[in-house]
Amino acid sequence: MLPFASSGSKVTSRHHVSGYSNGYPRGNTFEISPHRFQPRGTTPASRRQRKLLVRIGVVAAVLLLFALLSWSTTGSALSVFSLGLLSGGGGGDDDFQLETVRYYDLSNVQGTARGWEREERILLCVPLRDAEAHLPMFFSHLRNFTYPHHLIDLAFLVSDSKDQTLEVLTRRLEEIQAAEEEEDMSFGEISIIEKDFGQVVNQDVESRHGFAAQAGRRKLMARARNWLLSAALRPSHSWVYWRDVDVETAPFTILEDLMRHNKDVIVPNVWRPLPEWLGGEQPYDLNSWQESETALALADTLDEDAVIVEGYAEYATWRPHLAYLRDPYGDPDMEMEIDGVGGVSILAKAQVFRYGVHFPAFSFEKHAETEGFGKMARRMQFSVVGLPHYTIWHMYEPSVDDIKHMEQMELARLAQEKEDREKAEKAQKLKESFGDTTGQWEEDRSQLQNLALQEKKAAKEKNAAAAEQAGAPAAGGAADEKVVARDGRQEDGKT
Amino acid sequence: MARSMGPVRLKKTSPVTIVLGTALCIFILYFLIGPSTPDFSASRKATAASHPLSPPTSPFRKSTGSRKPKPPPVSHYNLNNVTVTANPLENRENILILTPMARFYQGYWDNLLRLSYPHELITLGFILPKTTEGNTATTALQKQIARTQKSGQEKDRFKSIIILRQDFDPPIQSQDESERHKMKNQKIRRAGMAKARNSLLFSTLGPATSWVLWVDADVVETPPTLIQDLARHNQPVITPNCYQRYWNPETKEMDERAYDFNNWQDSPTAQDLAKQMDPDDILLEGYGEMATYRTLMAYLYKEDGLLHEEIPLDGVGGATLLVKADVHRDGAMFPPFSFYHLIETEGFAKMAKRLGWQPIGLPNYKVYHYNE
Repeated sequence: MLPFASSGSKVTSRHHVSGYSNGYPRGNTFEISPHRFQPRGTTPASRRQRKLLVRIGVVAAVLLLFALLSWSTTGSALSVFSLGLLSGGGGGDDDFQLETVRYYDLSNVQGTARGWEREERILLCVPLRDAEAHLPMFFSHLRNFTYPHHLIDLAFLVSDSKDQTLEVLTRRLEEIQAAEEEEDMSFGEISIIEKDFGQVVNQDVESRHGFAAQAGRRKLMARARNWLLSAALRPSHSWVYWRDVDVETAPFTILEDLMRHNKDVIVPNVWRPLPEWLGGEQPYDLNSWQESETALALADTLDEDAVIVEGYAEYATWRPHLAYLRDPYGDPDMEMEIDGVGGVSILAKAQVFRYGVHFPAFSFEKHAETEGFGKMARRMQFSVVGLPHYTIWHMYEPSVDDIKHMEQMELARLAQEKEDREKAEKAQKLKESFGDTTGQWEEDRSQLQNLALQEKKAAKEKNAAAAEQAGAPAAGGAADEKVVARDGRQEDGKT
Repeated sequence: MARSMGPVRLKKTSPVTIVLGTALCIFILYFLIGPSTPDFSASRKATAASHPLSPPTSPFRKSTGSRKPKPPPVSHYNLNNVTVTANPLENRENILILTPMARFYQGYWDNLLRLSYPHELITLGFILPKTTEGNTATTALQKQIARTQKSGQEKDRFKSIIILRQDFDPPIQSQDESERHKMKNQKIRRAGMAKARNSLLFSTLGPATSWVLWVDADVVETPPTLIQDLARHNQPVITPNCYQRYWNPETKEMDERAYDFNNWQDSPTAQDLAKQMDPDDILLEGYGEMATYRTLMAYLYKEDGLLHEEIPLDGVGGATLLVKADVHRDGAMFPPFSFYHLIETEGFAKMAKRLGWQPIGLPNYKVYHYNE
């Protein structure tokens, strides 16, 4: 039977031939033209059933197609065709791999004197702005840190930069993280944060350090620091280290050295090298200081929004500065309690920042930014300490005055050189044009000496008869004088 | 008959087979692709970090292999692109809900789950003390979290959840209402609260958060559209009025009363009081011994008032407080010391003002505090 099932033509022809396919004789039926009647092969009920099934089938097919299309947009179409075998762990399994809950016990990240042994994580914060030129130097410092690199998380804030800071930074960091042969070089979490504050103050040395610009500049810097910290601080950090990108020389062990003191906030002394004509070296960071009565009295006279900035004649505070207390041969471990801190290199326990100490972007007890940070830390009973004899060196960037001075010095030097050259030339000329005089001199001298001798002889002969004892010594003295004078002239000619 | 019926019957069955086959196919395919539920997972996966060392506000992919983990990637975050707007839903802005918790209230959790803001944009942060009470609360919290995040409905699951344990002991052991509110204990207690809030805030804020919503663990009823409603005002710091439902024995029915008195507008009396104070002393609200005559938002509620009426505030409470992340990023924190004679949330309002951000209150928009 089965073979017939598909061959509809045979069935039809058979019906056609016999004409009695339904088993009933064709009785008095109307003749309908054409004279070919094809009886239905199925009962009406089963026809309806079939129609229904076909419809269901079509609807199902359309649904399937639709589902396929919509699924393929979410990327799961592959698993349909590969029957989910190829993408094994992918697709749905990923969901179970996502960890959405994190648990931290903050008492495990308190920060101790020997953090590297207890695997304490450090967050290294670096604010950057148009700092492309300093990056190579900074990265050499980064590589040289002896603190285990995988425990150091890096956070950079690139703000309002017009140079290639961001690109160079990214490239160098990716190189470090990708270097397979130096696995111990790669760092922990690295965040590069971009945020523009629209700073109007120029970044060149003069406008950066001008007195009038200070308060506004410091408040903006404070905002930048706070944005960086709040975006990068994690519950897993025990320490936070702030480091300026333009530090030229610092010990490789600086993190451990500062950590060993186990203080809440600690800063080294910051100096900078100078050209010889400026004295060779100079205290750089004047923001680390102890509070003085004068400054407190001064603070009381200022209005709420005023900011006292250190190192300017406008505010004479008479505070003891960490920088001026340096003794190059002093004990580097010596500590000094301070109230304001400088931002070049600050190591602080993460707890200090977690409890809310930050860089005030407003006038906090008449101070802002890092100095305000020191004040606020003190206010919350944290220990704030400076190391007067442990020194790191900031880069020397000549100020506009220095540059002017250096230009003048350069001019003076050139003038001096020119003068010297002219002198030498003159001497050379003199030597060349009167070069033969030496021989002439010799001749003249021998002649003169001969003359003198003759004179002496003549005198002797003259006086021999008259007064031999009295005249001789006086004549000898005069002759000696003449020789000395001649020698002197000779030297003049040589030089 | 039999000869003719045979093929006919077969013809009839063949579409059935096809349909059955198709149905079966769909059935199989459904189970093959089924587990990867479309919409949510895609966006969730896109926001997930590839390394455990990442901002805690997003989930991360657990490493499956036993091989040595790769060093973390160099991550870029452009904070210029993190928007904070009146329409957070449209801009898909991330919300961080922060709660310092000493006791776990089921009502609090249920209320969180009812929030209509897309949960895949919400990160929760909790901080709990390391006391017996804190341990109990942690256990209860973790149970609820596991239920929601692992077996809950996809739409109920939050983007990420952070649980912190405090690194200092709470100064006052008892969390009882009476003990907690004694005036002499207030400064120490609120300094501790401020430290807890700051610890929670500054270690979870991360680079992607647009708004921070502070909700106290004992706030058990808010409108489900709370986030959208508050953000709509586009204010740097905004707080609704915190009330409490209670059984009024006089009228013999449920009633409500004002609860949070830390939302206020300053008064000359309070400023005079402050002037005579020691720099370390603080002004407190809601104590008879210290009448400040400040205008309290709690009493400004008008039944027929506009729901979205705004008033400027000088001090805020922390029961429910929506803050633009920018305000916190600029440095506004909860001072654990006397800041202009103010502390914690009230000090926060002052600090925000010093930074140029004006706090706003909604006297007619109510949320409800748990009644013990």
